[in-house]
Amino acid sequence: MSEIKITGYKCKACGRVHYPKHEQCLTCKGRDFEPLTPDGNARLLAYTQIFNLPWGFDERFLIIGVGEFENGIKAMGQIKADSLDKIKTGMELKPSWEPVRHQYGEPVYGLKFKPLE
Amino acid sequence: MRDVAIIGVGMIPFGRRDQDSLVDMLAYASLKALDDAQLGDKAVDAVYVANMGGGILQHQTAIASALVDRLSLLPAAADTVENGPASGASAVKNGVLAVASGYYDVVLVAGGEKMREVSGWRATDFVATLTHPEVEYPYGITLPGMAGMFTRLYMEKYGLTREMLTAVAIKNQTVGTLNPYAHVTMAITKEGILESPHSVVNNPIIADPLHLYDACPISDGAAAVLLCPLEMAKKLTKHTPVVIAGFGQATDTHTLQEREDPTDLKAVTLAAQQAFTMAGIGPEDIDVAELHDAFTILEVAESEHVGFFKKGEGGKAALAGRTKLGGEIPINVSGGLKARGHPVGATGVAQVVDITWQLRHELPEGRQVLGATYGLTVNFGGFGNNVLSLILKRSA
Amino acid sequence: MAVDMELEAVLRPPECPQAHYPAKVITLANSKRMVVREVTRDDVPTLLKAVHPTLFIDKDYYNVVGARIYSELLAWQYYRVQNEFCLVGQIDGIMVGMVNSRMYTAETGMSLHTLAIDRGLRVGAHLFAAKMEHHIEYLGQDEVLIVAESPIGFRRWMIEYGLEPTTIPHELGGAPSYRLTRELYFASKARLVVGDRPVPEELMALAEKEIVVADEAMIREKIVGLRGR
Ligand SMILES: CC(C)(COP(=O)(O)OP(=O)(O)OC[C@H]1O[C@@H](n2cnc3c(N)ncnc32)[C@H](O)[C@@H]1OP(=O)(O)O)[C@@H](O)C(=O)NCCC(=O)NCCS
Ligand SMILES: [Zn+2]
Repeated sequence: MSEIKITGYKCKACGRVHYPKHEQCLTCKGRDFEPLTPDGNARLLAYTQIFNLPWGFDERFLIIGVGEFENGIKAMGQIKADSLDKIKTGMELKPSWEPVRHQYGEPVYGLKFKPLE
Repeated sequence: MRDVAIIGVGMIPFGRRDQDSLVDMLAYASLKALDDAQLGDKAVDAVYVANMGGGILQHQTAIASALVDRLSLLPAAADTVENGPASGASAVKNGVLAVASGYYDVVLVAGGEKMREVSGWRATDFVATLTHPEVEYPYGITLPGMAGMFTRLYMEKYGLTREMLTAVAIKNQTVGTLNPYAHVTMAITKEGILESPHSVVNNPIIADPLHLYDACPISDGAAAVLLCPLEMAKKLTKHTPVVIAGFGQATDTHTLQEREDPTDLKAVTLAAQQAFTMAGIGPEDIDVAELHDAFTILEVAESEHVGFFKKGEGGKAALAGRTKLGGEIPINVSGGLKARGHPVGATGVAQVVDITWQLRHELPEGRQVLGATYGLTVNFGGFGNNVLSLILKRSA
Repeated sequence: MAVDMELEAVLRPPECPQAHYPAKVITLANSKRMVVREVTRDDVPTLLKAVHPTLFIDKDYYNVVGARIYSELLAWQYYRVQNEFCLVGQIDGIMVGMVNSRMYTAETGMSLHTLAIDRGLRVGAHLFAAKMEHHIEYLGQDEVLIVAESPIGFRRWMIEYGLEPTTIPHELGGAPSYRLTRELYFASKARLVVGDRPVPEELMALAEKEIVVADEAMIREKIVGLRGR
């Protein structure tokens, strides 16, 4: 059982993996999906370090990226790093489910990625 | 379908307009368009208002109803069009369809936004509300952040460099100094924002690899155009009529991550193709373009996706000066969003106003593309998930 | 009026020795050169002329900051504040901004204010950095206490420098102080503090010849005009 509370949707007709949810498959308009949970580590597809944050964040910056899990789910998350020095497209990331921000005094949980090596 | 002409345009200077409310700005720009058109006793049949943030930033909704009342255009039909940063071109498109269909004769389209009323944090958060509410927004992603991720992919794939992006920023801010409607009227230099070691403070990173001068400022502003059938325009107006020769609009996945190739802005390509097909011309026929350079990378990517340059060549073309006034395809001779500013709802309308001035040959030396006949705009909504392109033609 | 020096000896605060800030020159985004240098009490009347229009600008807390600087400058001129210093930024001789601050003790700096008259060139960011540079590197202090009076200041100082929140009251009487330590300063220095020394002779001569102050209407326009950001 994955602790990552994300559900991807794999089209039963053509196999395309969706995240977030669509009512019809982006490729074939199929409506039957097999729910998927993220599996194993992820690979970094894209990233940035943002310095001008929106209201609601006290950090000086955030590093945000999109990771692709082994079963094809692609998801955005916050990357745990102090700088971009060791961050590279294609690197391996270990996912976790943690507070990513606070809203109305309550933590909001989401995906975080820890860069491996 | 009837041919649709632009008979009046108006814009107020963009910037920080603390004194004016959102509806004030829309009204001032509309009056300028009405005066420019010299409608006589012809009534305005319908009004389309482009606005993205009234509900969030001003806690005001039903902006179109407020505007028709303010202008005493009652009982004209009035609709507010909210389509993110592409609201402006969406409203123009709806106005064009309404006139082309034969249903309305005289249509006013006004776009406006008041973003400086709130702090930078709030404005950034407001724009970020167009991202996916569950899988993007909670992480703190911003539009500059989206553009940053996109830029890095583009650099990795095509060898785009910071020097190329800087060339776009300098080009737009330089010509922007000549635009009385522009928010930023300060020229910048390559030395000051890229080469000098002091540039780390002058031009800090906002969303790696994008820096401050890769982004448009946050602005207040409004613009308006008045549309009517071409036949009517010929009788009414003293100006050379400018017609909407083509338009296109396409959507793409809400999130960047679900695109098969995230560097491929399919909606831009499709919107432009539709517009070219409708106008019966190709990219090589365009004399001047207003592209949605909310970030320098977008001007480069759009210049490729609409077909001015091959994929991966746009940055080099900008660096070589091919997109300057006098170059083969002058882009953003207004200064673009970079210099004019980007009051989101106003932008798509402002682009049409600037192209109309170009096609009427009304601009002063230093900004006028000599003999321009065709102009193109791209208004980019979301992060490329809802894009419009319009082609305007000088009808002579 | 004649100054009674015997009485003054009682009223004037004792001062600790204070190092001089060596002038530097910064290349701005438009390639203009801004000279940043320390000014003296004799320059105060000129500085007051530049600050005066801000007293009536009810925007971005310019009036609050301007009025306080005005009084701090007068207090400095008349020896009513201990160990104050003031740095100005000049482009082609014209004053584009200033910062002031003081040594609270030999070890602790008390940051007072930052005022940018020309906006859009990050003049304020450069001047604030120079002030921190003076406290830590030239006055050799261990820490500087800082409060922000405007949201823009908060963003520039507290967030960009990653300052430490403390419960120490600040002399300006506002929110509790944030603290810049030597360690934080050197951690951010490469990113935030720039400038070349020495300042080329002609540039320095021009800056020292006269602190040129734009007229009030021009200063107002630069700060609150349509393009004032
Ligand atoms: C670029 C950006 C992050 C700067 O934010 P910021 O630092 O809070 O901006 P500020 O208003 O405090 O301005 C910072 C300085 O740079 C200047 N400036 C800001 N943006 C600028 C721009 N794009 N071009 C030129 N100058 C700019 C300001 O004049 C100011 O100078 P100062 O420090 O001397 O006062 C912000 O303008 C932004 O987010 N732009 C993008 C808006 C957006 O996403 N729109 C929707 C896209 S579809
Ligand atoms: Zn399918």
